[in-house]
Amino acid sequence: MGHLNKYHMFEAGIWLTIATVFFIYSFEFNQNIEIYKFGATGWPRAVVLMLLFVIAGNIFHQRIHGSSIQAGRVGVSDDDLAKEPKTLSAVMNVSSFLVLPLVYAWSLKPIGFYAATPVFAALVIILLGERRPKWIVGISLLIYIMLIGLFMIVLNAPLPQGTVSPFYDFSAFMLRMNTQIQHLF
Amino acid sequence: MIDNFLAGSAALFGDPVTILIFVFGVIGGMLFGAIPGVSMLTLAAILLPFSAGLEPAQGVMLFAVIYCTGTYGGAITAILFNIPGAPENAPTAFDGYPMTKKGLAGKAVGAAVLCSAVGGTASALLMMAATEPLAHWAIRNIGPPEIFALVFFGLAVASSVGGNTIWKGWMSVLLGLLVATIGQDPVGGINRYNFGMSDLAAGIAFVPAILGFFAVSEIFVQAERRAFGKYNAPKLSVDFPSFAELWRYKIAVVRSIFVGFFCGILPGIGATLAAFMGYGEAVRWSKDKKSFGKGNIEGVISSETANNAATGAAMIPLLALGLPGGALTAMMVAVFQFHDMEPGPLVFYNSPELIWVVFAAMFYANVSILFIGLIETKTILQLLRIPFHFLAPMILLLASIGSYIGRGLVLDVMIMFLAGMIGFLLRRSGYSIPGIVLGIILGKIGEQNFAQGMQMVHYDLVTYLSRPICLILIIAGAITLGAGVYKALASNRVGAKQE
Repeated sequence: MGHLNKYHMFEAGIWLTIATVFFIYSFEFNQNIEIYKFGATGWPRAVVLMLLFVIAGNIFHQRIHGSSIQAGRVGVSDDDLAKEPKTLSAVMNVSSFLVLPLVYAWSLKPIGFYAATPVFAALVIILLGERRPKWIVGISLLIYIMLIGLFMIVLNAPLPQGTVSPFYDFSAFMLRMNTQIQHLF
Repeated sequence: MIDNFLAGSAALFGDPVTILIFVFGVIGGMLFGAIPGVSMLTLAAILLPFSAGLEPAQGVMLFAVIYCTGTYGGAITAILFNIPGAPENAPTAFDGYPMTKKGLAGKAVGAAVLCSAVGGTASALLMMAATEPLAHWAIRNIGPPEIFALVFFGLAVASSVGGNTIWKGWMSVLLGLLVATIGQDPVGGINRYNFGMSDLAAGIAFVPAILGFFAVSEIFVQAERRAFGKYNAPKLSVDFPSFAELWRYKIAVVRSIFVGFFCGILPGIGATLAAFMGYGEAVRWSKDKKSFGKGNIEGVISSETANNAATGAAMIPLLALGLPGGALTAMMVAVFQFHDMEPGPLVFYNSPELIWVVFAAMFYANVSILFIGLIETKTILQLLRIPFHFLAPMILLLASIGSYIGRGLVLDVMIMFLAGMIGFLLRRSGYSIPGIVLGIILGKIGEQNFAQGMQMVHYDLVTYLSRPICLILIIAGAITLGAGVYKALASNRVGAKQE
């Protein structure tokens, strides 16, 4: 086993799963293209094959060197947190921070940009450790006003309006307000 | 050439509206390039519908100017926040961000300003002098096999920088190539890996992927550092490098101009590969290879000179052949089409005034990087004073808007945040984010040109490799790849003996 540990095996497992999924799904579009001998699957399967070879190389390297960085590499990441003791609250905080943007992205369709954005900004600020209510509200509003000013009023960029009432009505109100502002100029 | 250039300059500065559009393009490109979370592509995507109301020369000129100044602007966020404004600025972050952490942000940004201006101006001059002969040379000598060979070489270079090992470098690149296979295949238009989602038929748009892997993952990394009490605010410094300091790197600048210009000429390759190749060559020729990635100013100089040198060259395939070299030049094709024009050889004969207004504007835009860039930089550096917990939501929201605007799909915002999460986990495990992004960008181009090349030579590898430029590039890529694997295996032997 050398320096291989559970983490390395897990990592290899993830990569092998990716390669397997891409290989198995390639049968869904396994059609001939009359003008091209290798068809639609040739390229992705070649990439999967190369990936398998490289995964094997990575396992071989980790068996001898563990997680150490290969000498002479440029632009490597410096993960100085790997050996830090992890408190439950910090882990929860990071996990929430990772999930929150996905929830925000999911909410854009039903709730819309105009209603979801100030709440998202405030939650991000809170998760990053700010506890003073005035600052949380003030900065969230400032960010919201800046974004609305630049993208809605100046650039007229189309942003998600939401589909669910009352959020959709709020978006409609914002857009009516924008039209009135545009008429002023 | 000089007469045409003067005529183009007169047309540019003789009309107040054109001047206003030029100034808007210069400042807009710089600002959108330099604001973390959005990029010149965001601005270009927003402006695209409005360009239909402009004169053809004004519309094309606006996008050309945004391309020049936005390519430079993206270096600032790469250096200050480790968030490249565009993929072509990714190698800049390798050394630029470590310089910021050491309190040398001013020197890194100053070098980026000067080298972007030098690379871009040299490229604009070469473009003006040689567009037609270079276009003819490219038509005769560059075909799909050469483009595929360059993609292969570029990916080999990208795999050799960024990951903790050559294996992780290649795994990153191959992951990018796999992601690029999502959507329609470039030969037969068959849907691949859309998992029943019709929005995925068009593939993964690279703007959300780039924003996710670069901007969002960096915010996640910094948030984690903050949660574990390890966050160090970047140090503010506004001391620019002296001319004498930069003069030491004149050879790197000249080399990067040629590398960048060559990459830019090739359709579909663009500035991203130029920056990686410029950086890779700087590492290859340096006597102090170990200092790269730790804050070597030569890394910033090489990648910034190369990516801006590619901007002028990218206009050659666009204007002479009608082939865009990247996302922004593809939007320029749309501007031409809005006005019932097609870029290509006939433009030089039908609309020479348009061509020379664009050439003149690109030249002046690159020169203005030097002056406006230095002033802007001093202001932008003040962003480092904003506390991270106030800057982070701004960046995340700007990135959300930047992702959404391109295609108007909420799915793209989700893809961006997913890419951010994946990027965060991969960075922690020593994988190369720029490698993944380059794989995504070059994947489709590589596949398309490989397929076309194979069809051209009737699947005969000997004929394929009998094309000299193709052979040279394939050999260069193979040597880069082989050297990387050899080093990894040699270190394995040393490691095994030590055991």
